[in-house]
Amino acid sequence: MGASSARRSRIVAWGLSAFVVAVPLAWFTPAHASTLPPYQTGRRNAGTPNSSVVVKKHGVVTSYGDSAITYRAPSPALAALGQALYLQNCASCHGTEANGVPAAGTTGAYPNLVGLGPATIDFWIESGRMPAADPRSVQAPRRTPRLTHDQALAVAAWINSLSPSYPYIPTVNLKDANVANGAALFALNCAACHTIEGDGDALARSTFAPSLRNIPATQVAEAIRTGPGNMPRFTGNLSDYQVADIVKYVTTEIQHPRNPGGFGLGGLGPVAEGFVGLLLGVGLLALVGFWVGERQ
Amino acid sequence: MSNAVVTKRSKKQALGRYGRVGKALDELDDRLGVAKGGRSFLDKIFPDHWSFMLGEIALYSFVVLLATGVFLSLYYIPSSAIVTYHGSYLPLDGQSMTEAYASTVNLSFAVRAGLLMRQMHHWAADIFIGAMVVHMARVFFTGAFRKPRELNWTIGVTLLTLAIVNGFLGYSLPDDLVSGTGIRIAYSIILSVPLVGTYLAFFVFGGNFPGTAVLPRFFILHVLVVPGIMLALVSAHMILLVRQKHTQFPGEGRTEDNVVGTPMFPVFMAKTTGFMLIVTGVTALLGAFAQINPIWQFGPYDASRISYAVQPDWYMAFLDGALRIFPAWSFHSFGHTIPLEVTIPAVIFPGLVFGLAYAWPALERMVTKDVAPHNLLDRPSSRPKRTAAGVAVLAAISMLFIASSTDVIANFFHISLNTVLWAMRVLVLVSPFIAYPIAYKIASEMHATRGSGKRKTANVVTRTDEGEYVATAAPAYADDVAHDLAPTPVPQYIEAVEADEEPDDGVRTIDR
Amino acid sequence: MSERREHRTAVSLNGLREDDPHLQPAARNPQLVERVIALTLLVGVVLIIGFGAAYWVNAAPWTLGATMGGGLFFLGVGLIAWAKYLMARGPFVEERHVLATSQEDRDAFAAAIVERGGGVVKRRRVLGGLVGGGLGAFGVVALFPLLRSLGPLPKGTLFHTDWRAGSFAVDITGRRIHVSDLAVGSIVTVFPEGTQNTDRGQAVDQTVLIRLSNENFTTQKGRESWGPMGYIAYSKLCTHLGCPVGLYEQQLQLLVCPCHQSMFNVNNGAIPNFGPAPRPLPQLPLYIDAAGYIRSQSDYHEPVGPGFWERS
Repeated sequence: MGASSARRSRIVAWGLSAFVVAVPLAWFTPAHASTLPPYQTGRRNAGTPNSSVVVKKHGVVTSYGDSAITYRAPSPALAALGQALYLQNCASCHGTEANGVPAAGTTGAYPNLVGLGPATIDFWIESGRMPAADPRSVQAPRRTPRLTHDQALAVAAWINSLSPSYPYIPTVNLKDANVANGAALFALNCAACHTIEGDGDALARSTFAPSLRNIPATQVAEAIRTGPGNMPRFTGNLSDYQVADIVKYVTTEIQHPRNPGGFGLGGLGPVAEGFVGLLLGVGLLALVGFWVGERQ
Repeated sequence: MSNAVVTKRSKKQALGRYGRVGKALDELDDRLGVAKGGRSFLDKIFPDHWSFMLGEIALYSFVVLLATGVFLSLYYIPSSAIVTYHGSYLPLDGQSMTEAYASTVNLSFAVRAGLLMRQMHHWAADIFIGAMVVHMARVFFTGAFRKPRELNWTIGVTLLTLAIVNGFLGYSLPDDLVSGTGIRIAYSIILSVPLVGTYLAFFVFGGNFPGTAVLPRFFILHVLVVPGIMLALVSAHMILLVRQKHTQFPGEGRTEDNVVGTPMFPVFMAKTTGFMLIVTGVTALLGAFAQINPIWQFGPYDASRISYAVQPDWYMAFLDGALRIFPAWSFHSFGHTIPLEVTIPAVIFPGLVFGLAYAWPALERMVTKDVAPHNLLDRPSSRPKRTAAGVAVLAAISMLFIASSTDVIANFFHISLNTVLWAMRVLVLVSPFIAYPIAYKIASEMHATRGSGKRKTANVVTRTDEGEYVATAAPAYADDVAHDLAPTPVPQYIEAVEADEEPDDGVRTIDR
Repeated sequence: MSERREHRTAVSLNGLREDDPHLQPAARNPQLVERVIALTLLVGVVLIIGFGAAYWVNAAPWTLGATMGGGLFFLGVGLIAWAKYLMARGPFVEERHVLATSQEDRDAFAAAIVERGGGVVKRRRVLGGLVGGGLGAFGVVALFPLLRSLGPLPKGTLFHTDWRAGSFAVDITGRRIHVSDLAVGSIVTVFPEGTQNTDRGQAVDQTVLIRLSNENFTTQKGRESWGPMGYIAYSKLCTHLGCPVGLYEQQLQLLVCPCHQSMFNVNNGAIPNFGPAPRPLPQLPLYIDAAGYIRSQSDYHEPVGPGFWERS
C-alpha cells in the first residue's frame, strides 16, 4: 500500500517510545525480560510493579511506576481509621471482612473487595459511586462523594492491608504527556463506548458508559487500569506513557473542547445538528417567509 | 449652470425617452428580439402566499451551497494518500491521516474564513433538504402536483433524492471517523443487494473496502456530476413553473384562469432578492454560532476505530433508524445469502418510499378519476383523505427518524436500550394507523367549520320601498388594506398626476 | 407633456393613474416606514463593512459569520420591507393562457412523427433495424467495459482474511501479543502481523482478542482448542453492516456494535442476542506457541463481516 511509507514514521515514533520505556525496564525487570524480542515494549502487566521502577520500604512495595505515572500505596498508618470508616459505610453489603459476604440476615451477593487493589477502592469511593445510593441498581451512577479524599485513602489502606495487591493509586504526570498520541489512543480504545466526544452513551441492559466531561485525572487513570463495572481493564495493552497521554487528552480536549466553530451543540453530533438545522434554520426562514408572504 | 442643463436635456433627447437603458434595450432587441418577452416576464404575476416561500428557502440554500462549495473545493484534496499532520490543531499533531482529512482540517483552521465556509456549507445542506421536504409537503397537502404539474412533481422528487445522495457524498468527503463509518455502512448496504451486490460494491469502491478510489470518486460525483444534474433539474423546475404559472389558493377574484399577486418587477424581485439575502444571512449566522461536524474532534478514519453515538446527517437518519429496528432476518438457502436485515430497510424500503412519491399523482388520479387541470389549490382540510395519508407517511418516517437515536434516547432517559428498540418497532408500525384517523378527523372537522371564528364584515339590512329586506355586506374594515380592491392587470404605463392638476375624474389622492 | 400622453394612449392597452389605489404603498405611514427601513439597511451596510474589516484582520470565525450573516439579514429585511410596505400594493392579476394548443396543431405534430418519420422507417426496415441495432449494441457493449474498468471483480476476496496458520497476533503498533499481556477482562484489537498498518488489515483482518475467565464460558462444538488460556478472538466486523464491534462490556460479557447496537454474547460463541445482526461473529482459532505468543491456527472458517449473495 502507498499508505505504508507515510505510516512508517508513526511506527518509528512508536518504536522510539518503546525504546524509551524498554531501557529502564531492562534494568529493573527480572532476567527473563531481557530475552524479549526488541519490538516488545515491555508493557506486560503495566500498572503493576512487574513493569516499573519499584520503591520498597521494609520489604514492602510502597510505590512503583515510571516518569509517566507513579503508583503509590496508601499509608498503612491509615488502616485503623479505614476499618472504622469501612464498617460504618461499606460493611452492610460487602461484609465485615470485605469479602462480599454480608452480615447474616441480609441477602444478595456483593463484590469481594479483597485483592482488588487500592486504585479500585479509591476510584469507586472518590467518584461517589460507593457507598451506593441504591445497592440494587444495575449501575451505580457518579455522584458527589460521601467520603473525603483522605477517608477514601484510609478505606483503601485498610482493605489493602488484608491482602496487599495492585494497582496502587496512580499519580499522572501530565506535563510530559502527548495530547496527540492521547487523541489517537482515545479513538482506538475509548470512543467505542464513551463516544469520540466523551459524552458516554447507553449500553446493554440499562447500563451506560458515563460521560467523561467532569472526571479528575487520577480517576481516569484508575478507571483505565482497573476496569470498573463493565469497562474492560487496560493493562498490558497500554503502557503508563500511553495512559498518561489518554488522561491528558481527556482532561484537556475532551473536558474543555475548543469549539472554534461556535457553540458545541451538546456534543450529540448529528442529532442535535439536525434539530438546530430544522428548527432554527428552516423554522426561522419559514417564519421570515410567513412575514414576507400574505396570510389569508 | 443653465448651459449645462440645456446640454443634458439635449443629450437626453438624443438618447430617446428612456435614456441609456432604453438605448441598451434597443440594441439588445435588434439582435435578440427580447422586448416583448422581456416585458411580459417583468409583468408576470406571482401569487404571494407565505407557504410559497418554502421552495425559495430550498432554492437559495442551493445557491449558498454552490457558492460555499466552490470555496471549499479550492482547498479540499480528494486523496487517500497518507500524510502526517503538522498543522495548527495540536491534538492531531503527528497523527497519520489521509490527505482528504488533513486538507479538511487545514481549510478549517489555516484558511481565512475557511471554517465559516465549511460550516455554512454544512448548515446550508441541512437547511436545503429540510426546506425541500417542507416544500414537498406543502405541494402535496395542497394538491399542487395535480394535472398539469405532475412532471414538475417528478422533477422535485428526483431533486430530493439527488440532494440526499449528494448530502451523503459530501458528508463522506472529510474522511473523519464518523463519515468513514458512514462509508463503511454504505459499502455493506451495496453489498447486500441480491445477485449483483458484490459486483456493484467493487465497481463503486474500485475494490474491497476501503480502497483508495472512493474519495476521488465521491468527490467528482459530489462537486460535478450530481450538482450538474441538480442544476439542470432546478432550471427545468423553474422553467416549468414560469411556463405553467404558479398555482394559487382560492379566494376573492381568483379563478382557475387567472393569477393574482405581485408583479415580477419590481415587487416580487425585491422580495425574493431580500429573501435570498436572508437565507444566506441565516446560514452565515448558524455557521458563525453553531458548530457543526467538528471533524477535528472525531479524528481521522481508520477502519478499526469506532465511536459510539455515530449518526448520519438528519436526512439519512430515517434509513439508519430502519436499519436499527429491523429484525435480524437473514435468508440463507441454496448456497446463497440474502441479507434481508439490510436489503429490506436500506434498499427496498427507501425504494418504496420514493416510488410512492413518484407514483402519487398517478395513484390519486386512479382513485379520484379527476383528469381536469387544476390551478387553484386545495386547502389541506378539504381533502381529508389525502391529508391523512400524507400525515400517516410522515408519522412513520418521523418515528424512523427518532429510531435512529435509540441509544441517545436510552441514555437520556436512563431506560434500557432493549425497551427503546421495542418501543420504536411498535411505534413505527402503529404510528401511521394512529396518525391517519386523527388527521382525517381534524381535517374533516376543519373543513366542516371552515370560515367560522374569522372576523367577518357586518351585514347591512335595508328595507326597500316595496317592503323587501335586502342584506348587503358592509364595507370592509378600514384597516383591511387592499381588501376592497379588485385585482387589476399590471399597468403598461403609469400616468403622472401633475401636482397642480386637480383630478378631473373625481378620484382623490388618498392622503395617508 | 401632452405629446407623451398622446403617445401612450396610442400604444397602451391599460394604464393606471399615479394616484390609483393599486399603486399606493401598503403602509399607512410611508414616511415613518421609510425611515425605519433606511435604518435597517444602514445597520446592514455597517455590518457588511464590519465583515470586510473582520476579514482583513483575520478575526475569529464567529465574528466573520456574525457580521456577514447579520449584514445580509438586515439588508434582506430592509429590501423586503421596502417591497412589502412601500411599493405598489396591488393586487394585480394576469390571465392564465391555456397551454394546450389546438387539435390541428396536435394532429400536425403527430402526423410529422408518425407519417413522415414512421414512413421512412417502414419503407427501409432493414436500415432502421441496422441503425437501431447498432446504437443499441453500442449502448450495451459500452456499458460493460465502463462498469468493468471501475473495479476488479470480487472473486474470492470476500471469503478470506490475511490470517494464516501461525500468524502472530499483533496490536496496532505491531507488537506481538504475549500470553501474559492481558489481564482477565482486558481486550485488544489485533491484526495478523504485517497487516496492522494496511487498509486491508484494518478493514478486513481486524480481530478482537479478549481474555476471559473460564467460568460461565460455553465452548462451542468443534472449537474446543480455539481459545487457549482464556484467550478468545472474534472478528471485529459486525455481521450486520461491518462496523467495528469495539464496545466490550466486561461484566455482561457482551460485544456491542456502536452503530446499530447488535449485541454478541462473548461467553457463548458471540451469538447475537439483541439487535439486527443475523450471525455470530466468526471466531478465530488461536494457539499459544512455545515462546508464549498468541498465534492463529488458520484463517477464519467463514467469511467475516456483513452478508452478501455469494456467501453460503
